[in-house]
Amino acid sequence: MLATRSFTAWRAVAQNPIAKAVVAKNLAALPTGVRTISASPARNQHDSDILVKQRAVRPVSPDLKIYQPQLTWYMSGAVRITGSTLAGGLYAGVFAYLLGPLVGIQLDSASLVSAVAALPVAAKVGAKATLAFPFVYHSLGGIRHLVWDSGYALTLKGVYASGYAVLAGTVLGSLYLAAI
Amino acid sequence: MSLNKAYTLGLAAARPALKYNLAAANVAAARSLKTSAAANMAVPNESAKPPLNKTFQIYRWNPDKPTEKPTLQSYTVDLNSCGPMILDALLKIKNEMDPTLTFRRSCREGICGSCAMNIEGGNTLACIAKIDRNTSKPSKIYPLPHMYIVKDLVPDLTHFYKQYKSIEPYLKQKNAPTDGRENLQTISDRKKLDGLYECILCACCSTSCPSYWWNQDEYLGPAVLMQAYRWMADSRDQFGRERRERLQNPFSIYRCHTIMNCAKTCPKGLNPGKAIAQIKKDMAFE
Repeated sequence: MLATRSFTAWRAVAQNPIAKAVVAKNLAALPTGVRTISASPARNQHDSDILVKQRAVRPVSPDLKIYQPQLTWYMSGAVRITGSTLAGGLYAGVFAYLLGPLVGIQLDSASLVSAVAALPVAAKVGAKATLAFPFVYHSLGGIRHLVWDSGYALTLKGVYASGYAVLAGTVLGSLYLAAI
Repeated sequence: MSLNKAYTLGLAAARPALKYNLAAANVAAARSLKTSAAANMAVPNESAKPPLNKTFQIYRWNPDKPTEKPTLQSYTVDLNSCGPMILDALLKIKNEMDPTLTFRRSCREGICGSCAMNIEGGNTLACIAKIDRNTSKPSKIYPLPHMYIVKDLVPDLTHFYKQYKSIEPYLKQKNAPTDGRENLQTISDRKKLDGLYECILCACCSTSCPSYWWNQDEYLGPAVLMQAYRWMADSRDQFGRERRERLQNPFSIYRCHTIMNCAKTCPKGLNPGKAIAQIKKDMAFE
């Protein structure tokens, strides 16, 4: 409504003090709570359509491939991997024991002992080490997790110190278990 | 019509109504874009040392050509005429070699968190990451890991901010303060906030967490969880129990497996992993 008035009319009002007072009074009488400008949603919809289309083709930045090898996530990943392989091996062993007779292979203690005893010493020690290493690592890593859950060794120094301790313990423990 | 005349004749000539009669030369000088004279600009003394050329391999992706896969582009910078930080090198590349290189930056002093990116495999702020002066190996610069990329080194942090908003990072009280005016706090209670309030929300820690990489939608991530703990640990806040209640589900906090990449990478030296462990303990004993 106000915008349709001509420029010259407003200039006349600005230069005339009486006209100024009259216009001011009229403006004051307008209800001030009424909004005369409204945002047009149609314009925003176009912009958000462009954004949605752009978002659909955005690539994901590389993670595992480029992140620096660190004790933190390497050891954590190794605990997870050893855990799943040990669990998988346990399941495989149990099912082989149960279902072996169906195929004709006996996997009870006596037959296993006699089969392994015939192998050369190197193979026996090697097999024991291969089984012991992930087992000891996962167990010591698990204890490290319990230490963290209790609230200890959660500083960077503590994480690295306990990490090296687990690695050292793993080497010693698996050597011991492979030797007995 | 009259405006066109002004531009063709020169502004001083077409504006007789100007109160102060500025000379045309002064007006022309005020119109140029330079803010200080070229003679006053500092010039690096490049002839003093032989050039120490370092290669930077920087992740590039152009949203205007979305079908082209992201690539690593190599740039060579003379470190003897460049500032010591990675951000200095990026700005030198952008100013002198490739203006299309895009990255966020603001304070250049490690307090705003804008320039967070993956430098040499670790997430830090480019403005406080020193350039490795060993020129035999290139420096690799990637954006924050496992984030949707808007362009080059700019990640989309919308979801990260939404997660921050979801923990209600403001003081919430049930009763007004006892004296009716100030929320009093002892010195020992204030000490509990040290190491928590300094977070600048740069997202370095959250994007360093493999768990956040795989479960970004539901897992809140170390940055947001440390801030959740900041409000739980604040003695003036009275909604600690409710804040912990909100995290009672398999994903919000319990995707944390204490990998501790977050504490290793924080450019401000904070420890989000410890804060998360503290939340877990409080939730267990509540």
